[in-house]
Amino acid sequence: MKLLTHNLLSSHVRGVGPRGFPLRLQATEVRINPVEFNPEFVARMIPKVEWAALLEAADTLHLVEVPKEPIEGYEHNEKFLRKMHHVLLEVDVLEGTLQCPESGRLFPITRGIPNMLLNDEETEN
Amino acid sequence: MSPSLGNLGPPSYVLGTCADLRPLGWSCFPRMEHEAAQLEKQHVHHVYESTAPYFSDLQSKAWPRVRQFLQGQKPGSLIADIGCGTGKYLKVNSQVHILGCDYCEPLVEIARERGCEVMVCDNLNLPFRDQGFDAIISIGVIHHFSTKQRRIRAIKEMARVLVPGGQLMIYVWAMEQKNRHFEKQDVLVPWNRAFCAQPFSEASQLGRKKQCGHPERSHPYHPSCSECSCSVCFKERCDSKRSHSVDYGPVMARTCFANISKGGEEEYGFYRTLGKSFRSWFFSRSLDESALRKQIERARPLRNTEVWSSRTITIQPSRHSSGDLDHQEAFSTKEQNSDEDVFVESSGKHSEWLRAPGTWKHLDGDLLGEIQKNGGRHVLDGRNTTEDGVDPDNIEGKNPCAGRILRRLSQVASTDSNPDDTISVEQKQADIWGSRAFMRYYHVFREGELCGLLKENVSELHILSSGNDHGNWCIIAEKKENCN
Repeated sequence: MKLLTHNLLSSHVRGVGPRGFPLRLQATEVRINPVEFNPEFVARMIPKVEWAALLEAADTLHLVEVPKEPIEGYEHNEKFLRKMHHVLLEVDVLEGTLQCPESGRLFPITRGIPNMLLNDEETEN
Repeated sequence: MSPSLGNLGPPSYVLGTCADLRPLGWSCFPRMEHEAAQLEKQHVHHVYESTAPYFSDLQSKAWPRVRQFLQGQKPGSLIADIGCGTGKYLKVNSQVHILGCDYCEPLVEIARERGCEVMVCDNLNLPFRDQGFDAIISIGVIHHFSTKQRRIRAIKEMARVLVPGGQLMIYVWAMEQKNRHFEKQDVLVPWNRAFCAQPFSEASQLGRKKQCGHPERSHPYHPSCSECSCSVCFKERCDSKRSHSVDYGPVMARTCFANISKGGEEEYGFYRTLGKSFRSWFFSRSLDESALRKQIERARPLRNTEVWSSRTITIQPSRHSSGDLDHQEAFSTKEQNSDEDVFVESSGKHSEWLRAPGTWKHLDGDLLGEIQKNGGRHVLDGRNTTEDGVDPDNIEGKNPCAGRILRRLSQVASTDSNPDDTISVEQKQADIWGSRAFMRYYHVFREGELCGLLKENVSELHILSSGNDHGNWCIIAEKKENCN
C-alpha cells in the first residue's frame, strides 16, 4: 500500500463519518519500490493530497522529513518533487494495520493489500 | 410424441422492471437487505473467490471504450476502478494513478502480483474520503447487485468519492442482446471451470467444431454504425454534428468513438475460438419482485392460479433457428461483461437437442419440479414440487440440483431425440455441471434503466453520454459542482 493510497482511505464504520479520516497507520513491513520519476505527474498530485494525513503517515514510518506544507513554487522544485515522489509512490507498506481514529477498528494490510471490509453490524446503512 | 403435460400450473411470471417498485419504500424490508447480501455472497462473491485461480491474462481483455476513457483523463489524475477484478484496466495509462478495488481478495491478489496498487473493499461502503478521485470506472459490477436499492447505493457511493467535475463510467450487462433473448432480468449464469483453466484444450475436448469462427458473420465486435464510421454503435444516431441538449442526450462530440481501432479482431478472436458448449442458464428470482409480491399478498390472499412464484426458475435454451447453427461462434460473453467467459455455447447438436419436439417428463423429487416447454421456453416452476418437501427457497444452496436436472434432461432427450443429435450430450452435461455450477447472479439492465436509475436517484450526477457497447449499457456521468 502506497502512502498516496493511504491518503485517500477513510473508515466507514457506522457513525464515524468524517472522523474516520485519516486512518492511523502502523507498519511491520515496508518495502521501497523504485518508481520512475515523473515531475509533472507528481506536481499534479500535490494539490490533491491531504497534507496533514501524509505528514502523520510519513512520520509513523520514520521517513525522510516531509515539509509541513507544499513549498512555494513546488511545481518547479525538483528536489521537493523527488522527495514527494518517494514518499507518495515508492514507499510500500506490505504488512501492517490501519486504525479508525474514532472507533479504533483495525483494518489489516496483508501482502501490500489493505482489506477494508466490514462486518454487517459495523457498516453504515 | 408424448402427450403434452396438462395442468402444468401457472407459467413463470413476468413482471415489469424494478423501476416500478420505487414507491414501496424499501425500509420496510430489512430482511430483503439480508437476503440480497446472501444472494450476492453465494452467487457473486463465492463464485469469484472460488474461480479466481482460473483466471488468466488471456481472458482479461480491456474494452477499447473503457481504455479510451482512461487514456482521456488528465495526467496526474487519481482514478479508482471499483470492481477491478484482476486489474486489466489498472495499467492502461501510466500518466494517471489508478487504484484498483474489489470485494474479492483472490482476484485482487492477482492484480497485485502484476504490480498494481489494489485493495479489498465493498462498493456499497467505499472506504474513501469524499471527493478524492478525479474519475471512476465501474465495469461490469453494478449488475451483480441484487436489488435496485443496492445498485443505487453503489452508484451514490462512487459519486460521493468523486471530485466535482469528475467523471464516472459505468458498464452493465444489457438485457437486450443480439444473439439471444433474456426473458427476465435476474439471471443465474452457470460457470464452466473447465474453460478457464485451459481454454484451448478444453474447447477441443468438447468437440466444438466451429472454433476458429467466421469473422464476417454477424460480427458482434464491430457493429459498425451505418451512419458514420464509428465502430461502436450507439442507440442514438451517430450524426454527431447534432448539438446535445443540456439535460440529457448523447454527447457524441465529446465522446468520440471514431478513434476506436477496428483492429480488435485478434483481441476478440480468443473468445470465438474458445467456443461454447452450452447456452442455457437459469433465471433467478428477483428480490425486488419478491418484495412486491409480498406486498400484494398482504392485500389479498394468493390463489393457486396466481401467476407469480418467487421460486420460479427459468431455463432458457438456445433460441436458434436451424439456420443459426453456424452462428455459434458469433456469441461471446466477453462482449457482455467483464473478463472471464461465462457462457458456453452449444454445439449445433446440442441446441437441436434442446429444441427437440415432444415434452419432458416430470422430474420427481426435484426442487425445481417439472419442465414445461412453452414456445421454446423451458420453465421449471417450484410451486409444483411438493413431493419431497425440499425447501423451494433454498435455491442457491441447491447447486447439485442443476446437475440433477440436466442429467435428467439428457436422459429424457436421449429417448426422444434423434440419437445422432445426442451423441455426447450427456458427456457434455457432466463436464459442464461437474463443477457444480458456480452460478453467478446478474441483474441485466433494460435499455434506459441505467440512465433512469441515475436521473431519478442520483441527482449529484449529470449524464454526459450513454449507449450500448457490445451488449453492455454504458454511461458516462459527471459529478455536478456544488453538491455534497
